[in-house]
Amino acid sequence: MNPVRSLLGGLWKIFGGMGLTLRNFFRRKATIRYPYERRPVSPRYRGMFYLKWNEEKQRLNCVGCTLCAQACPTNVISMNKVGKGTTAGVDEFTMDLGRCMFCNLCVEACPFDAIYMGDQYEFAVTHKEGSVLRIADLAQGGPENYRRNLETLRRLQEEAEKSKAAGDKPTERRAAEEGA
Amino acid sequence: MNGDLRDLHQEILDLGTQGMVMNMGPQHPSTHGVLRLILTLDGEEVMACEPVIGYLHRGLEKMAERRPYRHFLPFTDRLDYVCSLANNLACAQAIERLAGIEVPDRAQWIRVALMELNRIASHLLFLGTFGTDLGATTMLLYAFREREEALALLEAITGARLTYNWIRVGGLPDDMPENWDKGVLAFCDLLESRVGEYDRLLTDNPIFRRRTEGVGVIPAEDAIAYGLTGPTLRASGVEYDVRRWAPYEKYAEIDFDVVVLRDGDTFARYLARRLELEQSVRILRQVFDRMPEGPIASKVGKVLKAPPGIAFSQVESPRGELSFTMVSDGSPNPQRVHIRAPSFANLTVLADLVVGNKVADVVAILGSIDIVLGEVDR
Amino acid sequence: MIEQALANPWIRQLANAALLLAVINLGVLVLIYMERKVAGFIQSRLGPVHVGPRGWLQSVADALKLILKEDIIPAPADRFLFVLAPFFVFVPVLAVFLVLPFNAGWVAHDFSLAALYVIAAGTVAIMGIVMAGWGTNNKYSLLGGLRSAAQLVSYEIPVVLAILAVVFYAQSMSLVDIAEAQRGFGWFIFHPPLLVAAFVYMIGQLAETNRTPFDLPEAESELVSGFHTEYSGIRFAMFFLAEFANTFFAAALAVVLFFGGWDGLPGLTGALWLVAKSYVLVFVLMWIRWTLPRVRVDQLLGFAWKVLVPIGLIVVLWAAASVVYAGGAKP
Repeated sequence: MNPVRSLLGGLWKIFGGMGLTLRNFFRRKATIRYPYERRPVSPRYRGMFYLKWNEEKQRLNCVGCTLCAQACPTNVISMNKVGKGTTAGVDEFTMDLGRCMFCNLCVEACPFDAIYMGDQYEFAVTHKEGSVLRIADLAQGGPENYRRNLETLRRLQEEAEKSKAAGDKPTERRAAEEGA
Repeated sequence: MNGDLRDLHQEILDLGTQGMVMNMGPQHPSTHGVLRLILTLDGEEVMACEPVIGYLHRGLEKMAERRPYRHFLPFTDRLDYVCSLANNLACAQAIERLAGIEVPDRAQWIRVALMELNRIASHLLFLGTFGTDLGATTMLLYAFREREEALALLEAITGARLTYNWIRVGGLPDDMPENWDKGVLAFCDLLESRVGEYDRLLTDNPIFRRRTEGVGVIPAEDAIAYGLTGPTLRASGVEYDVRRWAPYEKYAEIDFDVVVLRDGDTFARYLARRLELEQSVRILRQVFDRMPEGPIASKVGKVLKAPPGIAFSQVESPRGELSFTMVSDGSPNPQRVHIRAPSFANLTVLADLVVGNKVADVVAILGSIDIVLGEVDR
Repeated sequence: MIEQALANPWIRQLANAALLLAVINLGVLVLIYMERKVAGFIQSRLGPVHVGPRGWLQSVADALKLILKEDIIPAPADRFLFVLAPFFVFVPVLAVFLVLPFNAGWVAHDFSLAALYVIAAGTVAIMGIVMAGWGTNNKYSLLGGLRSAAQLVSYEIPVVLAILAVVFYAQSMSLVDIAEAQRGFGWFIFHPPLLVAAFVYMIGQLAETNRTPFDLPEAESELVSGFHTEYSGIRFAMFFLAEFANTFFAAALAVVLFFGGWDGLPGLTGALWLVAKSYVLVFVLMWIRWTLPRVRVDQLLGFAWKVLVPIGLIVVLWAAASVVYAGGAKP
């Protein structure tokens, strides 16, 4: 009777598995309707980059120190620094996300809280060039803030030049306080 | 292996019949990446198998020589992308030993937790894909359902879901988020309640048993001779686990069993991983009770230079023994890096193992070895 | 005018066939949707949700896509066999539906050897699969074709034996007579020998319809897609259609043979009962498919010859004995 018993035993095990799948049939589903519903991402999520906007000073935090570019293993970041010392800023900041590993090293390297990774995770593009992001795309708050950043930087530089010409030290000290 | 069968095939060949050469891969649903197997078939039976690798070769070891030490860490994510934290750890340990950097206790405990969580995620992926290899597609979704929870926890601490890059030279970049330990313990309970489902669906299934038991047996001596490591070796009855034999981080202080099975067949290799899930849960439960407060990273200079010398680090990745050998000549870049990838060593056994088996068994055996091509090709 | 035309037997049969074709195609669309939803629900997923409310139109979208796709014939393929194979698989499935009684009198063509005809016509499809396997000139397809030849021929026998046991009870090979014999809840499934026969039949049909655990001819993880690896577009659609129509027919035939055909509680028309019962059986087939792993080819054949065929033979003897000595059959 052994073969019969093993056959019936096998059938019993199979019914056990089928009971399991039937239970899952009526269980709550694990998936969601993705484009319509989204799962919240963690606060530490490493998604799309942004350059932090400082509303108080009307400028981006970035001073163009290139520490992030040095920390990057794949040379994603390039930037153009304008001004120096306390009036320093960037008027161009380019990231080639085609090379990016989203490794977080640039964010950790930044001493000015200037570069961050946000919660955006859908950045598929139809052209290779589309993955090269300029400063206008990266600035927190969009291109509008990029323009305002430029204006602020220009104003700061003009003030610095003026005060330099006048030899007015206190102004520079005030600017230094603001920059810190 | 299967000497008689091979002789029989030789006789058939002498008769003048030809085997059918079939390319399995590099684009094939069951070669787990870009592995190519050149199979010579006699009907359904495999007469010869020649694995071809290298489709994913990126020259990572060479790339390491061209970069400062710290810049190479994100690249190690791309070795074994199913358990990238183990690669991070092995690389970071090698650099730490080379440069003589101490790691704070708290960081070591968190590293252990990350390792085991990543091991669970990796083994769940194995259970799922192995089920799919044998036609039980539902297993994949059930395993992924739990893996999703593990990934959510890893995302909460590292911010990424696959290429975590969350181990730095000298510690970790950031502490655990609030209530993360509670989340992990809740996940442990969930997983323990769900492994019974895997058993009912797959482990106890008579068809699954028949497909795997006695198929592709690796005797213990052969397993050692081939240099197999990890669950693949332990399924053949050899008790070797880096966590036990050369403990790193805090593994020496943790109480866990090394899963060792006798049979060495495909089923034993499956069961070894299935049982390791429970051991990982056991380890995770111990970690948070014993974790001290304190810093999570030691101070490391901005430019990391190591004195000339050589350092070696071993880690028990979910696939076996992963080791980094790093040579320094005193410059900011390593002079030479060698990575001993467990998948590469484990894959060597495949060609001899599948001869004499059916095509369907090739898929089962390959699945049971659990390779990741990113690591094989480097 | 129409009645006159329908009086002509040729036109009448043509109209029947056209009606059946439409019903089958619609039924298959529903089945595909059902399969995807059942698979999804069992696997803790939602299944199709995008096209139409709750994804109802997904099958229609799929069908449209397949029809509009470019028709590709691989250069090294044997064109003649490649083109012919889908028809060889599809047409027999349509042909067997001709004798399936949906209700009292609702049958396209009833004749006294219907049960034999069903088996004979169904066997032709094997040729189509072997043709596809050989004709595509693809090694995966070839293996799939070889597997299916061995598999379908082997599993034909237990199915025939199971049907034979039913024929003993009904004392007729006409499917209409078989269904009539079960009227008033005298379903054959309630007779012990035929309960076992039903098991044998269902397992055999699982293999005949190439569904997991017996989907070796298309074993995805081994043979990519088996015999239809190189097929795409409308030709692939024909294989697909045939597979699902076959599944439905296997279930409907099981209902006629074992579950009383159109017999059911009064209030609903018999055809609805038949279809409802068939869908329950189809659900069981899908449920099995999404639970079990796939068997290996030697185990598959071993199971057919060492387990199913002996059981089938015993069932036939048992059924014959109970008909003769215990008066199990209707007069």
